[in-house]
Amino acid sequence: MGNIHLHERRQFESLFRQEQIDFLDQRLAVLDAFLQTEQHMSAEELQSVLKPQGYRFELNFIEETLELMCRYGFARKNLFKNGQFSYEHRHLGQHHDHMVCTKCGRIIEFEDERLEDLQMEITQGYGFHMLQHRMDIYGICDRCISERVHRIPLATAKAGERVLIRELSGGTSSRLRLMSMGLRVDDELEIITNYGKGQLVVAAGNQRYVLGRGLAQKIIVEPE
Amino acid sequence: MNKRRFKIALAGNPNSGKTTIFNHLTGTRQKVGNWPGVTVEKKVGDIEKFGSLLKIIDLPGTYSLTPFSIEEIVARDFILEENPDVVIDIIDASNLERSLYLANQLRELDCKVIFALNMADLARSRGYKIDKERLSELLGVPVVFTVGNKGQGIEDLLKVAIEHAESGQDIPETRKVRYSKDIEHAISDLRLVIEEKSGPEFPYNRRWTAVKLLEDDSIIKKRLEQILGHDSRELLERAQQLRSRLAELFKEEPEIVLTDERYGFIAGIVKEVVTTSTRRRIDVSRNVDLVLTNRFLGFPIFIFFIWAMFQVTFTLGAYPMAWFEAGIAWFSSGLGAVLPAGVLRDFLLNGVIAGVGSVIVFLPNILLLFFCIALFEDTGYMARAAFLMDRIMHLIGLHGKSFIPMLMGFGCNVPAIMAARTLESRKDRILTVLITPFMSCSARLPVYIVLAGTFFAANAGTVIFMLYVTGIFVAILTGRLFRSFLLSGEDAHFVMELPPYRIPMVKSLVIHMWDRAKMFLKKMGGVILVGSVVIWVLSAYPKNIDYSVDYDARIDQARQYYTEKIASATPGKAEELSEMRAQEIKELVRSRQVEHAEKSYLGRIGRVVSPVFEPVGIDWRGSVALLTGFVAKEVVVSTMGVLYAVEGDTESDALRRALRNSGMTPAAALAMMVFVLLYIPCLAAVTAIARETGSMKWPLLSVGYTTAVAWLAAFAVYQGGQFF
Repeated sequence: MGNIHLHERRQFESLFRQEQIDFLDQRLAVLDAFLQTEQHMSAEELQSVLKPQGYRFELNFIEETLELMCRYGFARKNLFKNGQFSYEHRHLGQHHDHMVCTKCGRIIEFEDERLEDLQMEITQGYGFHMLQHRMDIYGICDRCISERVHRIPLATAKAGERVLIRELSGGTSSRLRLMSMGLRVDDELEIITNYGKGQLVVAAGNQRYVLGRGLAQKIIVEPE
Repeated sequence: MNKRRFKIALAGNPNSGKTTIFNHLTGTRQKVGNWPGVTVEKKVGDIEKFGSLLKIIDLPGTYSLTPFSIEEIVARDFILEENPDVVIDIIDASNLERSLYLANQLRELDCKVIFALNMADLARSRGYKIDKERLSELLGVPVVFTVGNKGQGIEDLLKVAIEHAESGQDIPETRKVRYSKDIEHAISDLRLVIEEKSGPEFPYNRRWTAVKLLEDDSIIKKRLEQILGHDSRELLERAQQLRSRLAELFKEEPEIVLTDERYGFIAGIVKEVVTTSTRRRIDVSRNVDLVLTNRFLGFPIFIFFIWAMFQVTFTLGAYPMAWFEAGIAWFSSGLGAVLPAGVLRDFLLNGVIAGVGSVIVFLPNILLLFFCIALFEDTGYMARAAFLMDRIMHLIGLHGKSFIPMLMGFGCNVPAIMAARTLESRKDRILTVLITPFMSCSARLPVYIVLAGTFFAANAGTVIFMLYVTGIFVAILTGRLFRSFLLSGEDAHFVMELPPYRIPMVKSLVIHMWDRAKMFLKKMGGVILVGSVVIWVLSAYPKNIDYSVDYDARIDQARQYYTEKIASATPGKAEELSEMRAQEIKELVRSRQVEHAEKSYLGRIGRVVSPVFEPVGIDWRGSVALLTGFVAKEVVVSTMGVLYAVEGDTESDALRRALRNSGMTPAAALAMMVFVLLYIPCLAAVTAIARETGSMKWPLLSVGYTTAVAWLAAFAVYQGGQFF
């Protein structure tokens, strides 16, 4: 572990020197503290980690450094449900390539010698000295795909079927309208009438609604 | 002693039983009008209770106070601008969660609110028990249980409303809706800017304004621009910044996040106050819907109901209609006997009574039609009918709901146009109003009967049926045309709640029916009265006409001639001669009538416009008849009767003979019928169009368009007919 961090630190340092980035020592201190942890960290958290070590950095400075690290691919910024940004560091020494699920945000790490060798070969062919590389493959993970199979637009559900609303995917105003009429994600629906190209009748609890086919196309449901 | 006055507004979801409670509160002392500028019905009732004068306003039923529809805008504007003393929110106890969504928006508005937990009996039978005290405590709002259709709790509700209005008590700060940290930050941030910019006379609650700005409420933004003028710029910019920050933070539009959080707050309340027992009753409405909206059964059942409605309206309505006719005839002849001959008698009998009487006789039909429609509405079937007709109406680019007014159009266009106000989208409403006049109303039928009977005797039924079909066809074409050029787009995503089936209350049916009938009588009676008087004046004046022949002299001459002959003839011969005398005098009187009509102002107008009608095969008499038809389409036949010189019964053979002798060809007759089918809606209908669309633009368009279409169609028919 220590070796890897040392390696990363060196790469960081040489890159930052090339770019003539200021306050290098202070930034390296932030880097060290950041590399010590394997967890996601927000700028505030990093600040409180640095405090006992005798560093009193402005929050702005820490954020700026973290952003720099993101820019050069040393760290990765995440947004969490509570609205806070947090950073995780990328392992450069280890060749972790990622598959990122655009649906659920899951990250699958993978490593393949053939790919690494090929990359080396290609860069050398260009006379290019590789410091680091990243490979993020975006797509939909196996779990989401198997879920996706079950998810259908409400318009294609059959009469008599019971379904759960999983997603309202229309424009903001039509979503708001549905919500204010009492149709929300996770509600259970029973399809009363659905045939041809016309409107649908669905029941939710004690309420029944007529929905236009266009709107029903944008309500994503999952059969129970 | 001065009595205290209170303004009480009723708010609530559609189908929450709001109207029933309103009817119970006000009884027959309610006035129906329109909200200013829009065609949403406004119901107000003034009552006196507990020593106070109460003005009760029935706000339109809404799901929220976010301005999506006219109803929502109207309801919110009323609360914001008119500051009612207290707002009673009618809450459907069996659907508490959704009802509380609107309820919480009302609380946020900072107006005085009390809750009526309505249909509590139904909720109980569905297995929900609601802790009223706890709800009241948690939300800081007085709560009253009511059962609207049985009138329970209504007195209590009023008492609490008055107490609350007087108390000056606000919702305690701790009971208000709180959002998550980031949103609260944004709210207080904006609130500071608002406080900085606004003076003490700022009309809205500042926190609420901040929330609305975060929701990007276009109406509030516009109001702020008006109130704050230049100062609003910075505020709106700040709001926009905060909005995009929140959007980035939540990866979601702020208004959706706020809605979610409101529901989160509500879920907490519901958990606290509702106990659900496992007992679940079978949902009757759901089962009925399985049949009535069924793929195979739904449509035939619907057709049966419509057929039944027309049967009731026209078959059952025929009896009272006959009584009305007899009554008017009796009144007219009685008046004729009492009054001395002269201008006044002429004016009253031929102008006022003939004109207004021709409309009044339709009152039974209209009452019955509206009764049936009220029945459909109050039972909840109307919404299903709209659903069933939807795929057909989509041909025109309209939703199924537009079918109801069009259907009513076969009876009379005027109530049909008024019925279009139930449509949500303004463009749908205007489009429906514009195509409804192509539905052949019952007033056009007499014209068809006379003309088709005369010229297409054997196939009269088929011809008349084809005319009705042509009307529908033109309506569909017009709908498509206007939809693509004039009233395009706005095919908003359609969602409508189907109300539960309910047993209608007689009281509300009668109120419903009477409201409509009153409107019909008041507005249309006035227009018809004025119109008939104008037509009468135009046809009766100028009084002194230079006749080409001195009819009086000729009549005297003929009388003298025959009288002399009779005197010298045998008794058998004398009888024959006296008959001949009567015949000749009658002929002369007729000729004089024709010449009078020809030389009256109306005849002169007919002469002026007749070149326009020549290419479609209609002579000056037909032209005049069509012009007078603008007042009411029934008048076409009676005018023809006068001009083609037949007295009395217009459906008799005499008019037919006269028509055949006038040189009218079958092609011309067909052209005239097509013209009557399609041309200008009658004066009453045009007035209704103007009122329902709220501008002069649409009625003028309707008049111009229908006349152009009618002329072109009649031209095609007449010229096409020349080849046969």
